[in-house]
Amino acid sequence: MDKKVQLSGKFKLIMLVMIVLGVISVIAGFVTDNGTRTWANLLLNNYYFLSIAMGALFWMAIQAVTQSGWSAAYLRIPQAMSNYLIVSFVLFALMFLGVHDLYHWTHADAVAQDPLLQHKAPYLNLPFFALRFVVFFGLWIFLTYRIKSLSLREDKVGGVAYFSKIEFSSKVFIFVFAFSFSLFSIDWLMSLDPHWYSTIYVVKKFISAFFHGVAAIAAIAIILRKLGYLPMLTKEHIANFSRYIFALSIIWAYMWLSQYLLIWYANIPEETIYYVPREMGEYKTMFYTELLVNWAFPFLFLMWNRVAKNENLVLFAVLVLIVGQWVELYMSIMPSIELKHAISLIEVGTFIGFTGLFGLVTGYSLSKMPLIPKNHPYLLESTTEEHF
Amino acid sequence: MKTNILGIYEDEDVLLHAIDKLQADGIVVADVYSPFPIHGIWSRLKLTTRLPYATFVYGAVGAVAIFMMLYWMSVVSYPLKFGGKPLNTLSFIIIMFVGTIFIGTLLTFLTYLGREKMFPGKQVVLPDPRSTEDKFVLVIANTEDMNDQETKHLMKMLKETGATEIKESTVNDHE
Repeated sequence: MDKKVQLSGKFKLIMLVMIVLGVISVIAGFVTDNGTRTWANLLLNNYYFLSIAMGALFWMAIQAVTQSGWSAAYLRIPQAMSNYLIVSFVLFALMFLGVHDLYHWTHADAVAQDPLLQHKAPYLNLPFFALRFVVFFGLWIFLTYRIKSLSLREDKVGGVAYFSKIEFSSKVFIFVFAFSFSLFSIDWLMSLDPHWYSTIYVVKKFISAFFHGVAAIAAIAIILRKLGYLPMLTKEHIANFSRYIFALSIIWAYMWLSQYLLIWYANIPEETIYYVPREMGEYKTMFYTELLVNWAFPFLFLMWNRVAKNENLVLFAVLVLIVGQWVELYMSIMPSIELKHAISLIEVGTFIGFTGLFGLVTGYSLSKMPLIPKNHPYLLESTTEEHF
Repeated sequence: MKTNILGIYEDEDVLLHAIDKLQADGIVVADVYSPFPIHGIWSRLKLTTRLPYATFVYGAVGAVAIFMMLYWMSVVSYPLKFGGKPLNTLSFIIIMFVGTIFIGTLLTFLTYLGREKMFPGKQVVLPDPRSTEDKFVLVIANTEDMNDQETKHLMKMLKETGATEIKESTVNDHE
């Protein structure tokens, strides 16, 4: 039960090679381009892995609040991802160097000529932007670190005291997450188009994070089982994970439609302009790809009971969804930066680099603590009962 | 006349372990009546259902049917343009979405009632009415063919696995 994940040298080497590839891609991006596109690319990848980690941690908080039994053995996976938040904080802080390349509203002369930006200036200004960034990350890191350390102490001490403490911290985390992650998405993604706003935008980003975060947990759990860890991962657990993914794919599509349909129907120019480059111009294929990989595919694929219980097929679905989150963020960021749609080796390389970093941080954190929370009150239920 | 032997249990965990032990002994458990659904019964009794496939068909048919209805209403029968939107419009999706759920659910429900030969007001036939309160009833079907020795062994197994009461029943729908 005290088994820890052993990182093989091969794993570390592959992850390091991936990181090096990513660094080379970023440097190549800055050399060959004017910088804006590379900054946008970095923003995409930074936000991508932050949203995966935050979605996974939100899932962990939900398990505590609902006192779910079946998931008790898998809580260490999101807990390990919480360490990535610190790395993400540093990487996002470096983004401030490119803030003028990305955000129109950071230019004082642009604001001076623009009544709308002046109207938004009390919220959209650099000092407050930086303050929000620090406060949000501070809260996330503090709360997730607290939940993780309580869980680790529960391993040593036992009893139900820590269980209820974790539940309380999770409740706080859920409220903080809902509020701060929404504002964070407005700050870093929606303000790329400072003239455009949509209320459902942050809900979609939150659902998307939750959706793909759960998918990432499922993938890591299945991979660990294949490597010989987590022997208790049964068909029923896999079915539960794919149920999450299936349901969230529907909610994701619901949010997508809620945003698109209202803008399409009202047809107010200031709102419709957001979809003009996305649907009409060069991004047309990506626009439909986003819907296909994030909704149509998981919905029709995981609907079948036999698929939903088969670990290899679920792993395949998660791999598609990993591309799906990238496409979703690509469609949020890139059309706001430039009208030209181009995915080059630089984009692919940067994503590989960030994947390596995320994999290394998560893997290293997993290897530092027991993989199974052995004194979790529901562990027995998780490992022995059947869950339908 | 067909008879069943009922083992009556007080606790669902005891019941689940009892099913395991009985099946390991080669005894076929025909059915379980319980006050609430129990995890694990489904796989232990190897129950199967084709109901989800029916739901999928109903849902697909429902989506198409609702689309045809909307298309006929707003394109064929009464083509009224408003807001500069096309007649065959994206806003069909909302009604199609809701209609698919409604038709899928309703027809699945009716199919279930039909397959189970149930209807509102039907007199319920239960081997032991206490299975709607706090007892878990395990049914061993068609025990009239057993000889004395087998019956005795069955009784012993039921008692050993924690049944608080064993009785015979002639209520039978476990063919």
